[in-house]
Order: sequence, then C-alpha cells, then structure tokens
Amino acid sequence: MNAFGALSPALWRSLIWLAALLLAALLVGFIVGHVAAALAIVLGVYLAQQLWRLMRVEHWLRRRSVDSPPDLSGAWGEIVAIVSRIHRRKQHHKAQVTTLLREFRRLTSAMPEGAVLLGPEHEILWFNPHAAAWLGLRRKRDFGMRVENLVRQPAFVEYLRSGRPEGGVVVQDAGDSTRWLSFHLVRAGERQLLIVRDVSGEHHLQEMHKDFVANASHELRSPLTVITGYLDALSEDQNLDPAWSGPVQEMRRQAERMRTIIDDLLELSKLESVERSQGERPVDVGEILSTLRKEVLSMEQRPSVVRLNIESDALLLGVESELHSIASNLVSNAVKYTPPSGEIELTWRVDDEGAYLSVRDTGVGIAPEHIPRLTERFYRVDPGRARSLGGSGLGLAIVKHALQRHDAELRIQSKEGAGSTFTCVFPVERVVAGDAGQFLSRRLL
Amino acid sequence: MEKSDLSHHILSRYNDDLERVRTNVLQMGGLVEEQLKQAVAALVQGDSRLGEQVALGDVKVNAMEVAIDDDCSRILATRSPAASDLRLIVAIIKTITDLERIGDEAEKIGYIGSRLAAEERPADRYREIKHLGRLVGEILHEALDAFARLDPNAAVAVAKKDRLVDEEYEALQRQCITFMMEDPRTIRRALDVLWVARALERIGDHAKNVCEYVVYMVHGKDIRHLSMDEVEQHLRARGRRGESDPD
Repeated sequence: MNAFGALSPALWRSLIWLAALLLAALLVGFIVGHVAAALAIVLGVYLAQQLWRLMRVEHWLRRRSVDSPPDLSGAWGEIVAIVSRIHRRKQHHKAQVTTLLREFRRLTSAMPEGAVLLGPEHEILWFNPHAAAWLGLRRKRDFGMRVENLVRQPAFVEYLRSGRPEGGVVVQDAGDSTRWLSFHLVRAGERQLLIVRDVSGEHHLQEMHKDFVANASHELRSPLTVITGYLDALSEDQNLDPAWSGPVQEMRRQAERMRTIIDDLLELSKLESVERSQGERPVDVGEILSTLRKEVLSMEQRPSVVRLNIESDALLLGVESELHSIASNLVSNAVKYTPPSGEIELTWRVDDEGAYLSVRDTGVGIAPEHIPRLTERFYRVDPGRARSLGGSGLGLAIVKHALQRHDAELRIQSKEGAGSTFTCVFPVERVVAGDAGQFLSRRLL
Repeated sequence: MEKSDLSHHILSRYNDDLERVRTNVLQMGGLVEEQLKQAVAALVQGDSRLGEQVALGDVKVNAMEVAIDDDCSRILATRSPAASDLRLIVAIIKTITDLERIGDEAEKIGYIGSRLAAEERPADRYREIKHLGRLVGEILHEALDAFARLDPNAAVAVAKKDRLVDEEYEALQRQCITFMMEDPRTIRRALDVLWVARALERIGDHAKNVCEYVVYMVHGKDIRHLSMDEVEQHLRARGRRGESDPD
C-alpha cells in the first residue's frame, strides 16, 4: 500500500477522476456560457453515481455470506475488496477452530477417563461422554449446575471443598454399587478439571488382597498354636532326652517369632483395610510413653539410661491402641539396636506447628541409603543381626500406616555409630488442651 | 467446548443464598443416601461395625437438618421472599424433614443389621432385602436428582416407581409369614427382617414426598394428595398449552 500520506492509490485515482470531471465541466460551461449549471449537472451526476454504488455496497454487506461482491471501481471497489478479505479470513479461522473443536471432542470422547471442567463455583462447564455415563450428567441440561448437587457422595464433596487437590478420592458409584470411581482435581487458573477414572478392578484386587492377608494370618495361627502347645509341654517334660532340650528351646523361639510376624501382619492388614476410625478420642501420649519406659526398665537386656521427656500435658486426638502401637514399635526398635552402655530418650512435645513424639537412641545408627526404605515391609538393614534380635520386620510399616491414619508423618534422623532419632509429627489440629480434654479441637467430626 | 450458559434458568432465578441452601439440602441428601447404602450393606454382609458407623452418621444428618432449618428461617425473616422463591424455601423445609426421617429409618436398619450380624445368616432372605434396598436407594437417588435439576417430569416418573416398592414389600411380607409358619424358631429373625422391610418402604414414601415438593416448587401445584396419574395428566396438559412456570 504505497501511499502519499494516508490515501490509497485507488482513492487518489477517484480524486483525480473527480478533478478531471470538474475541469471538463468548467470548460464546457465556459463554452456554453452556463458555468454554474454545467458544474451543478456534473456534480449531480457524480453524486448520483456515488449514492448508487453506496447502495450496492450496503446491499451486498447485508447478504455477504450469500451474494458475491459487486464489481466496482475506485474507492468503493477498495472497500468491497477489503471487507471481502476480512470476511474470508474470518471464515477460514472459524473453519480452523471448528476442526480443532471436532478433533478435541473426538479425542476426549476416546479418552478412557471421564473429564469435567468446573468453574470457580464448581459449576459444570463441560464434560466428556465417559463422565456423563459414570456420573449421570446430561448434555446441556446440567451446564451451570454445581457438580456437588449431582455427585453427592460425602467423601467426594469433602475432597472437592477441601482445597487440597493432591491425593484424590475413591468413592463407590451411587448408581452401580460394583463400580468404584477415583476423582482427581487439576487446577487451571480459575477453573478446575475433574478427572474421573474407573478403578473398580483395582479396588476389587485390593479388597481381595486385604482379605487374603487377614484370612491367611488367621489360618496360620491355629496350627502354630498346636505346635507351640506341644513344644511347651516338651520343654517341661522331665523325661526328655537332654540332647533335645536345646533344640526344643530353639524351636520355641522360632515359633514365637512366627507368632509375632503373624500378629503384626494381621495388625497391618487391619490398619490398611478399616476406614478412618470413628472412635477417635483425646489420648494421653505422655502416659503411654511413661508406661513404655517402665516396661523397658523391667527388661533384662536394655540400655542403661532410659529418659522420659514430657514437655506438654496436651492430649492427642486419635485412636489409643494405634498410638500405643506406634510408640511401642519405636521404643522396641530403639532398645534392640542400642547397646547396654547406651541411652534412650522418649519425648512428647507440642508447639504452634504441631505435636511431636520422638524416640532417640545412641545405638548403631542407620546409613543414609537405607533410611528411605526403612518403612517397607520386612526391610532389614542388616538381615543377619536383625534376625537374631527377633521381631517381625513389620514394626515400621505398622508405624507408617498408623501415622497416616492420624494425618501424621515420620521423620528419621540417624548417624551410623552415633544413634538415631525417630520423630512422629502430628498436625496441630489434633492437639487437645490438657485439662481433662474438655475442650475438643475444631477438627472433631 | 460448550460455553457455560450462565444465564441458565436455575442460576438466574435464585440468588446466592437460595442456591447455597439448595446445595446444602443436596449434601444432606447425599449423606442420607450413603447412610441407607451402608445400613443395608451392614445387614446383608453381617457387618456390625458398619451398623455402628451408621448410627454415628445419623448425628451428622440431624445436625444438618437443624443448620438448614436455621438458614431458611433467617432467609424468610430477612429477605421476605415471594412467589417461586418462597415456594422453594417452603419446599426445602419440608424436604429436610423427610430426609431426616429417612436418616432415622436408615439408623434403625443399621441397628437391626448389627443385631442380626451375631445370628445365623439365611442367605436367601437377605437377598430380598438387598434387592428392596437397592430399589429404594435408586428411588431416593433419582428423587434427589430431580430436586437438583428442578425437573417435575422426572419427579413424577420417580414417584410412580414407589408403587414397585409397595409391591415388593408385600411380597416380602408374605414370604416372611410363610417362613415363620414353617419354623417357629425363625420368628425372631423374621420379625427383624419385616421391620427392616417396613423401614425401607417408609423411606420410599419419604422419597416420593420429595418428588411432590419438586413439582410444587416448579409449578406451584400441591400434588400431595393427588394420584400420580392425575398429576401426569396435569403436567402433560401444561406442556401442550405451552405454559411457562408461574413466577
């Protein structure tokens, strides 16, 4: 668009044409003797022509999608050409977007997951066919509706409103009780994407697994009880060949070990299977630690010093038996791996960030590469030594699961040869004031 | 991607307060649905722990009823709603009463389930209860969906389903009587089963009430004592005349 100033070539041509016309009119006017009349006529004709073209352009603009553009010269032709171009570009763009949308629709329909786009008030903006099928949503009808009005499972609503999208939640389908769905929220600016997966298969497998462990443990117990019974009788039998008394004692120890493993397996399976317990109460952790200390002091093989460090009389909201199990497992580990010359310290402390139950020992310590794997079932840092010290190998796995059920985490610090500190960090919402637990924390059901 | 139609008639008709109350009612509905599911499962699976959980859950249901009731009273007092908004509040107050009663029935079922867990399980009879429980659960779920969508046609369809519940209940009753006559030792258990069936039948009735409130909310017509056929006729006639909702 090479222009003098702001005017396009076409417009210049029009102006020049007009100027030429007026000049000609002037000339003719001079010749004929009526300049004004000649000018007026020429201008009138020119005006009529422009008006006619204007009307044609306006007419065409209104029926743009149907009619083809009028063939005009001059400035009007320019306008028509420009508008045509804009219009074509827009159509092209629209076709592009439509194609993209169709592709998107096809892909999201093919996706094995269900997806629901939610607005800031959790209102449904869009969903794909799987989401519609699993959640009973209806096209068009349910747009703008809050998703929790239609997907009403309390666990899902709690997750939706928790503001903490990590983790997700699994709930049973309201309609089809054999289907289990997992929900995950993904934030995207003001909006959120809800991803739904059918996890019925995995859920069923998990249930079978849990049932299996529980059943197997029960089944193993009965034969073991019989064996232990006979072994006890044998060990007390005066007529037993002395050569056998050593082996019999060894057999009793091994049977005892098996019983411990089975008990721990059962406990672990219970912790995994049962839903978050409803029986949570304010528990006196200081009291638990104090009792455990007394037990340790009464043991034969133990570190010489067992210190108790209760810095707070606050109570902890939780399940007493599980908290006892946590502390007991940590303490028994500390005792096992600390020499008689060493010491153990049991601490219960509360601050603004949370509550802390720690067990510190000056025992053999743990190398850094083992620490992330400590809570795995049956994981042993030193298999030979661990087996001779007894235990099931499940203690820390039990601790981990029990802590999870209390929204807590386990922190491990250790230095080989110097000792270890195991700290359980409980969220501050679970702390209950010490005076007889009369004031329950806000987190109570 | 379909654009959100924020001028959808639900959001444009009700302001934030009313919308929130509606959502809370539906949350209460969701909780009650789960209570029912768990109670029936407790009975059928002989899980006494689950039965106890239902009893604890009922505390929450009652608390929600009180909270929503207070909210409605406050709205009535401070906003003096009129026309369809007033109908909504009135219908909500009635709905939460029915939901709370459903919760109570579910608690009873859970309690009986806990008790029966200790006894011998007659596999076949609990299957009938399982079936009835699932049917009633469906009706409750669909009734709440109709409430959420303010869909009077769906509400009427669900209300008609309640007839099935009554039929199933009577069949179950006959079966229990037969068993009781055959073997008097099973009378105790059969009576418990009958009690549960009765509770389920009552839950179906409460769900039907919710459907009636939906029609009332949308059309202003009190259909509580009309037969479902009359209601259907009425709704169809409205549709033909092309009447819009009175507002």
